Amino acid sequence: MKESKAPSLGRTPAQKFFDKWQGLFYLIPWIIGFVVFKAIPFGQSLYYSFTDMNFFEGIHEYGLMNYATAFTNAKITKALITTFKYAFITVPLKLIFALFIAYILNFKIACVNLFRTIYYIPSILGGSVAIAVLWKAVFRDDGLVNTLIRMITFGHAQGPSWLSDPTYALWIICFLRIWQFGSAMVLFLAALKGVPADLYEAATIDGAGKWKQFFSITVPMITPIIFYNLVTQICQAFQEFNGPFIITNGGPRNSTTLISILVYNYAFKSNEMGMASALAWIMFVIVCILTIIAFTSQKKWVYYSDER
Amino acid sequence: MSKAISRRDFIKVTGAVGAAGLLAACGGNSGAASSTAPASSAAAASVEAVGGLSSDPVTLTMSWWGGESRHNAYQDAIKAFSAEHSNITVNPTFAAWSGWEDTMSTKFAGGVAEDVCQINWNWLYNYSKNGQTFVDLNSTTDYLDLSQWDEAQLAACNVANAQQCVPVSMTGRIFYWNMTTFNKAGITEVPKSLDDLMAAGKTFQEKLGDDYYPLHLGAYDRMILMVFYLESKYGKDWADPTTSTLNYTADEIAEGIDFIKSLVDGHVIMSLPTYYGSNGDNAAHQSTEWITGKLAGCFEWDSSATKYQDALDEENKPGFTVGEEIKFGDYNGGFSKVSMGLAITKTCEHPAEAATLINFLLNEEAGASIMGSECGIPASKAGLAAAQAAGAVKELVAEANGKVMAFVSNKLDPLFESNDLKANGTGVYQEVFDTVDYDNKSGADVVDILLDGMDAVGYTVE
Repeated sequence: MKESKAPSLGRTPAQKFFDKWQGLFYLIPWIIGFVVFKAIPFGQSLYYSFTDMNFFEGIHEYGLMNYATAFTNAKITKALITTFKYAFITVPLKLIFALFIAYILNFKIACVNLFRTIYYIPSILGGSVAIAVLWKAVFRDDGLVNTLIRMITFGHAQGPSWLSDPTYALWIICFLRIWQFGSAMVLFLAALKGVPADLYEAATIDGAGKWKQFFSITVPMITPIIFYNLVTQICQAFQEFNGPFIITNGGPRNSTTLISILVYNYAFKSNEMGMASALAWIMFVIVCILTIIAFTSQKKWVYYSDER
Repeated sequence: MSKAISRRDFIKVTGAVGAAGLLAACGGNSGAASSTAPASSAAAASVEAVGGLSSDPVTLTMSWWGGESRHNAYQDAIKAFSAEHSNITVNPTFAAWSGWEDTMSTKFAGGVAEDVCQINWNWLYNYSKNGQTFVDLNSTTDYLDLSQWDEAQLAACNVANAQQCVPVSMTGRIFYWNMTTFNKAGITEVPKSLDDLMAAGKTFQEKLGDDYYPLHLGAYDRMILMVFYLESKYGKDWADPTTSTLNYTADEIAEGIDFIKSLVDGHVIMSLPTYYGSNGDNAAHQSTEWITGKLAGCFEWDSSATKYQDALDEENKPGFTVGEEIKFGDYNGGFSKVSMGLAITKTCEHPAEAATLINFLLNEEAGASIMGSECGIPASKAGLAAAQAAGAVKELVAEANGKVMAFVSNKLDPLFESNDLKANGTGVYQEVFDTVDYDNKSGADVVDILLDGMDAVGYTVE
């Protein structure tokens, strides 16, 4: 630990000891929380993932059987594919949508603060059970969406069966996540405000239009925030649980069964903690790989102002 | 000065957000960490620890699932118990069934379940197969009068050579009909045969429209009715109740699945995709279709009568009727089982007081008269007598239970209710009947899904 630079002249040994370790004392509550609630379960789950640990039967077998099962069991591979689909649909769409709204809200328009607040509200509410229940009501066969479709078409068209048709169910879950674009939007908004105005002035003098300015100035200048949002959204998308669990419970026909739901089912319905841990670790490795790819690729597309 | 983002700024922001997220995650997941401890590590109170009643203040915890009226009954009974045993305080935990088993299994595994638990019969096999979770109630006979139950009922709760719970009630499935809707369709008699059922399906569609069905069956209900049908036709238990060896061939089971499919095709029951479209995986009694009478029947536990009746709107409620068991073949199909039991967990520090509480609720006049038929018709003889004397047995429940017990003769094996088979969303039963309805498959096409799933949970499939 780095020693304090405070003058030690005339200080008692106890004071010197305190000077040296006081930073650690302040950190102890956090360290205890981290070790007990994060580090130990983290290590424990890695250990369990190589066992057939069952809550009620203990451990009888060690090895890679859970990982082997994960890549050969049709239900699990389907859930893996569904999770990838979910992430690859929601992450880009959410970023595009958040950036689009942030761009609009960056203009000097009336009641802009009110709009910013309104657009942020879904992010506060979105992950809640209540909204998931509401979503279910909105998209049921005779729910709000299908009622609107009937009204608009004067009763000639009936909307699809959003929640029971495997083709649509995943999109409904994705839509819930995309709708919660507020936090990404706020970050984009902050980044947009940080783009120097003189760049736009120079571009305007050079005859660049709005689109050209957006893609040649705005986007490059906010790439650090795009990068940050990309990484955090990927992490969150692979951990999504509430929406599919409450709205469809993984159905219909497992079309919305994400890996997180399987982890829950294995752990708390089948009591197979070994298998649940293995799936959690597979998910962790996937997120790590995607994050590494994102970090590696940032040299090619992320612009930092202090770099030459 | 440039306002553009530097790498240093970026790292500062991401660091701050990351730290905040980590802290939030630490708080949010604190419960999960403790849940990973194996059941064997729970501090087990051995059966020898059952001593005398304490005169010091004692606090017990108790949990149950159920509806509003059951919650009220339990709470009133607990109040009466505490009035009688002034040194014992009982802290209750209760909720609806949805998600309850997940919660309780985690508590059992972590050794933090309540002292007295209302449990499902198959939990004895799932969570205390070796007697590791619940106290052997034979060690509490000074406080709990086991002679109030029939030997067969007690035997059903004797697992690993230990009396792990006492049955609260026995139950089986029976048809309930909403005669308000049936009358609208011009049908005045409850269906008593398969022909009546099929005719009702046709009449409902013709007279009331495509949205009306005489019966509703979820995936698990379909499985139970299929077994009912096969037992009725072949006169044998679904599986050996002790060894869980399946007694039916693949062809016979395929025939059973085709029977269910014929009900869908005949407009007797709604197809599962149609039901999911409006209700997701919500229970039938919570669906608008049931409440408004569009689904005019169900095949449910006899103890669920009031739950389904209470859910109906004012127009339909008076028409709620207990139906007749239907004989689909030469034999009486269907099974009875322990509906639920009360058990004492091994982590309980006051098993004598806990046993006294169970005895009060199920055997003693003061408790049983309050509990009435809220958990089904009491299995305890003294409890039943007290509930009847107090007029606390609901006629509807009594009628349903009477009809079920007089009809059914088959036994149920504990694996039938395994979570991997019956769970909503991911269970094998649902997969089978979803495949039939979504892909228009026959029984022969899907029977292997069922057999493989049963094999995976421990059935012997020959």
